[in-house]
Amino acid sequence: MIYDFRITILDFEFKYSKRSLFSCYLIFILIALLMLPASGFGQKVEIFGYFEPQLMGAKIKNEFYQLSSNKLRVDLQFKPSDKVAFGANFDYITYHGKTQWDILEFLPKSVIDEAANPSFLGIDFNPYVLPFDDRQFLDNAYLKLSFKYADFTVGKQQLSMGTGYVWNPTDVFNQKDMIDPTYEQPGHNALRLDMPFGSGFGLTTIYAPTEDWDYSDVLLKLKGRFSHFDLSILGIQKHWKFTDARLFDPIFMNFIQRDTKRQILGADIVGELLGLGVWAEYAFNDVKIDDEMDKYLLALERFSPPHLSIIRLPSMEIPKNYYEFVAGMDYTFDFQTYVMCEYYRNTLAKSDYKKYNLNDWMQLLSAEKKAISQDQLYLFIQHPATDLINVGGSAIISISDNSFALVPMMTYNVFENVDLNLFLNFYFGKEGTAYAKNLGNGGMVRARIYF
Amino acid sequence: MIKSTTVIIIILLGATNICGQELTADQIIQKVDNLMNQETVYGKMKMTIVTTSGAKRTFEYESWSKDWGEKNLVRYTDPPRVKDQAILMLNNADDIWAYFPRTNRVRKLATHAKKQKMQGSDFTYEDMGSGDAFITNFTAKRLGDEKMEGYDCYKIELTKKKDVNSYYSRIIMWVIKENFVPVVLDYYDEDDPDRLLKRLVQYDIKEIDGVPTGMKMVMYNKEDNTQTSMEMVEVKYNVPIKDEMFTERGLRK
Repeated sequence: MIYDFRITILDFEFKYSKRSLFSCYLIFILIALLMLPASGFGQKVEIFGYFEPQLMGAKIKNEFYQLSSNKLRVDLQFKPSDKVAFGANFDYITYHGKTQWDILEFLPKSVIDEAANPSFLGIDFNPYVLPFDDRQFLDNAYLKLSFKYADFTVGKQQLSMGTGYVWNPTDVFNQKDMIDPTYEQPGHNALRLDMPFGSGFGLTTIYAPTEDWDYSDVLLKLKGRFSHFDLSILGIQKHWKFTDARLFDPIFMNFIQRDTKRQILGADIVGELLGLGVWAEYAFNDVKIDDEMDKYLLALERFSPPHLSIIRLPSMEIPKNYYEFVAGMDYTFDFQTYVMCEYYRNTLAKSDYKKYNLNDWMQLLSAEKKAISQDQLYLFIQHPATDLINVGGSAIISISDNSFALVPMMTYNVFENVDLNLFLNFYFGKEGTAYAKNLGNGGMVRARIYF
Repeated sequence: MIKSTTVIIIILLGATNICGQELTADQIIQKVDNLMNQETVYGKMKMTIVTTSGAKRTFEYESWSKDWGEKNLVRYTDPPRVKDQAILMLNNADDIWAYFPRTNRVRKLATHAKKQKMQGSDFTYEDMGSGDAFITNFTAKRLGDEKMEGYDCYKIELTKKKDVNSYYSRIIMWVIKENFVPVVLDYYDEDDPDRLLKRLVQYDIKEIDGVPTGMKMVMYNKEDNTQTSMEMVEVKYNVPIKDEMFTERGLRK
């Protein structure tokens, strides 16, 4: 259950969500476009999307909790010519049922003691409660211009890197949901330039501006093809925040965050070997920590009441460098069964589960870390039971701490444009491990109606 | 005058000799291959799947093919569930890439993916875009002549060559003598050459841009008792198609 939260927490980034005015702008644009069919402009605008009701349930400490959501996604595409394309989509999500989840309920007792106990005007409150508030936002809105030798895309857009299926060391923009790794990723504000050379080679540059010019994200990717293999090398600079979930800032009412600059050298390859599909991905991360926060903490300590004493805790562990590596293979048997396995190593994570601390868990849940345990394995199997039903499942195994999760799944194309997905999740690890039993066994039913 | 008459007689005799010559299996398959793999082909297709329960699913897609079937691109246009999903096959489908618009990802697939059903239909990707696979992957043998679907046909057996990656051990093909259209194809199991898996039948054969074309084909799945029909909504042969279409950039468009 806890892994279902990851994407949602990522959106909140431990901050109270700010409803964007973008949604109003998009509604305005949609209405304006719909009103234009007579001019010929509207005739080229395509509007499509889906409605996705979802029910999630989990058994935690003899209680069964439910959270349901309704997501409406409206996509808009406008291609006035082969050289110009505009795409956008607007998401509206409502939540029902248990919309307040205390993250500490899922975490091992050994790390809960590290949690902060802040109070405001003498009243204690729990900053580890994750609220599922209704949301509406502009997920993507971009303009793509195609020139003879390059494509230029500007605006909020999906940025996906890497050849891995579940884990992508070179994808610094997204965090996949391990229960459903193929679920769509959010849009990112960026400028992207793709320059193909010949049929199999190309250069991609991405610039994603942030508040501070020095911390803006930059990516350079060179792609090539040799024999039946595609490969690429990447250089990336990414602004990365590490949250210290032990320290709650009473002024900004948020957890203390350390700004870091990650410089990454990566590579990926995908192809075929002895009839098997094979892929690998590697990223070396060099981490530079901004010391501005130290000055702020000193000032905070000086003016805070003595009982807060927040900086007396040992500093948060942030490594100077680490690497991530993924290797996988897949195969389709003659009887249509598809199997896949993927190995993942992340040296930012730990090999001994007894050393997992509160920050490790919270950074995992906030997508600041891609893993809490150093070595993991993902196994997947799928078989078309009928023309319309696929059955299968995945096993997510932490080799480092001997815990694992099983995720049986089924997809059913009920009607022409209606899909039904069922996922169950069962955890089998000892308390404190990556896939511990106390994380909450449960499941999810998701329908999707396309229009 | 005598000289020119002699030349005409020699030409006529020669022509008679050629017409009377029995074509070998390899020659017939070569003609089938030449017919099926035009320099370029553009098509709009409508695929209807009839499941065991009788439920129907309809897909529409556009396809582009170049260099006599060596390069293929398929892009779905309907229903919304699969809209803009695309498959690029190069080198006679030895290199395959799939594009998923919902995640904006291009994924290279290994050739085993050709065994997968196309959107749950009775066509595999191997059935769709293998270029000159009939020649490169199979050995042809003539099994005499037969009438099939009302046409006088050559009956040809194609047996899989050693070390070839194919889902089928053999294919029996009925080729119309008049125009070399393979009107019926029986596909046999890779491990059991006597087990009939599927039968493909071409209907409504019309001449489009000088190329005899089955405007509708139906794949009957003998194992699952399902069927998939493929109707050509539009087809154009030997039209200019840019190479750029068969790149990752073209796949994402």
